[in-house]
Amino acid sequence: MSHPPFEILEHTADIGVRARGPSLAALFENAAAGLLDVAFDAGAVTARESRPLVAEAADRESLLLNWLQEVLWLVDGEGWLPRRVEVHEISETRVTGVARGEPRDPARHVLRVIVKAVTYHLLSVREDRGAWVAEVYLDI
Amino acid sequence: MIYKGQIRKIDDYRWLIPGHIRPGTHTDALIYTTEEMLDSILQDLSLEQALNVACLPGIVGRSLAMPDIHQGYGFPIGGVAAMDFEHGVVSPGGVGFDINCGVRLLGCALTETDVRPRLKELVDQVFRDVPCGVGGHGDVKLGSGDLDELLAKGAPWMVAHGYGTGEDARFAESGGAIREADPTQVSQRAKQRGQGQVGTLGSGNHFLEIQFVQQIFDPTAAEALGLSEGQVVVLIHTGSRGLGHQVCTDFVAQMNAAMRKYNIEVPDRQLACVPIQSPEGKSYLGAMNASANFAWANRQGITHFTRKAIQKVFGGEAAVRVIYDVAHNIAKRERYVVDRKERDLLVHRKGATRAFPAGHPEIPDRYRHVGQPVLIPGSMGTASYVLVGAEGAMRESFGSVCHGAGRMLSRTAAKKGRNVEGVRQALEAQGILVRSETRNGILEEVPEAYKDIDAVIDVVHNAGLARKVARLRPMGVIKG
Repeated sequence: MSHPPFEILEHTADIGVRARGPSLAALFENAAAGLLDVAFDAGAVTARESRPLVAEAADRESLLLNWLQEVLWLVDGEGWLPRRVEVHEISETRVTGVARGEPRDPARHVLRVIVKAVTYHLLSVREDRGAWVAEVYLDI
Repeated sequence: MIYKGQIRKIDDYRWLIPGHIRPGTHTDALIYTTEEMLDSILQDLSLEQALNVACLPGIVGRSLAMPDIHQGYGFPIGGVAAMDFEHGVVSPGGVGFDINCGVRLLGCALTETDVRPRLKELVDQVFRDVPCGVGGHGDVKLGSGDLDELLAKGAPWMVAHGYGTGEDARFAESGGAIREADPTQVSQRAKQRGQGQVGTLGSGNHFLEIQFVQQIFDPTAAEALGLSEGQVVVLIHTGSRGLGHQVCTDFVAQMNAAMRKYNIEVPDRQLACVPIQSPEGKSYLGAMNASANFAWANRQGITHFTRKAIQKVFGGEAAVRVIYDVAHNIAKRERYVVDRKERDLLVHRKGATRAFPAGHPEIPDRYRHVGQPVLIPGSMGTASYVLVGAEGAMRESFGSVCHGAGRMLSRTAAKKGRNVEGVRQALEAQGILVRSETRNGILEEVPEAYKDIDAVIDVVHNAGLARKVARLRPMGVIKG
């Protein structure tokens, strides 16, 4: 049975995302999709502009955290909503990619919740027989 | 997992988790709760988190948890930890992402009888005038350089710029501004996230409620605070918005990188910390204090818009005054007697409220003989409480009590089997009107998602940490 690219995890006060992917690059794309799904309906966003994304860190978990923080920055800092996020290059300590979307238009884009932050709480990135799984909790 | 057999009952309201059950702890954890609530607390990771906090270098006394404790990140929500100011650490996770999330109470010269017939008009007016919800932008206009001034001066800056009246800021914890704030330590990203958000409520569990005083427990204290039975009050619950979230994010990353330099290891990276006296520690405290000032300015902006909205409906003679304003996510430098010695401490309150007893010099003159007002919001549609700090808090909880009812259900579980209309009608049947920007704002915050606020309050009252003054009941709820 194939797994969905991401699923939502229960947490008393907040919310988590479990993402999966056949590669580390796919995992990072799917984790970003999970974050976007928590925050708003990405289906209502048109991918008419792009924004470059770069994150660096000393280890894989921090790299995922920093990557998601870059995505969150677009939403909450720039008011710019990605429809999807693509990874171009990825190593253990650096990831580059692009977000495709448009500036937020309150008339068309309904935000679901304000994601305050991406947290280290129970953060994990692991590989199991060629399949990648990550878990990350968001403060909302 | 911690199991009940490992926890020692001290009395009906105090339960001790001995530090020795976990390697790496410097002290025990003490939980203020009843046995019944303890059983539900044991369902999540919050007690493990209280022991994780006991592992932090320089912790003084015990790692404390209030009856509204629930699982957070790193620190449990409802946690209190005091650190030696010279030799201890500061942890941004011990303050939280929403720096100076807090509560402000406004007293109105109106009664429930005045408001009931025009409740819908009032709720709709406040809902129009106080920006809320996701992406809600404020009507506070900041010129270039104004944000730095506001970060340095907090609520008094807002009053000086026309968003409030003379006495507003005086009746806030720390006078609505911490002098040690350093706006230069706040990143450009944080400033950009906060720009435009002054005077906005936000989403999640933040709210504004129009309430009335349902019951008075302590007439002397109520009179000093200017509260009377049937009086209409407004409770505002919000914090430092995107600015504070980004400051916490920035410093958790910075401290995770810096910890190695100070030979600090923590059981959870969300507990990242550095010595208070290190350059990183001082930088964080400067930025945290600036974020706290932003939050006080934010609640001041909302006060201004709420006052205007009330006066649009009831006329200019409907006086609205600030009763008090408390921070419940913050770290503050305070002095306590520990083992008969006066100590200089940094008290982390992560979902906990300061509760100084009568006579403390930090309490405004008007209230000093009764104690510092403590404002505890309940869940949507239930009760909120006003208390005053008591001597017990000074002796044993570093001047701290709980901060709310405490969540019990996850957001998904809260939504299960419920729809917005059903919840709205059930609340209306109890005389409570709800307005929300989002469906989630109502569904995720249903009263059933929270512990029983009356039981939580009874614990801190009976444990002698604070005294009940008044119970408030909502009439109108505005949610993000």
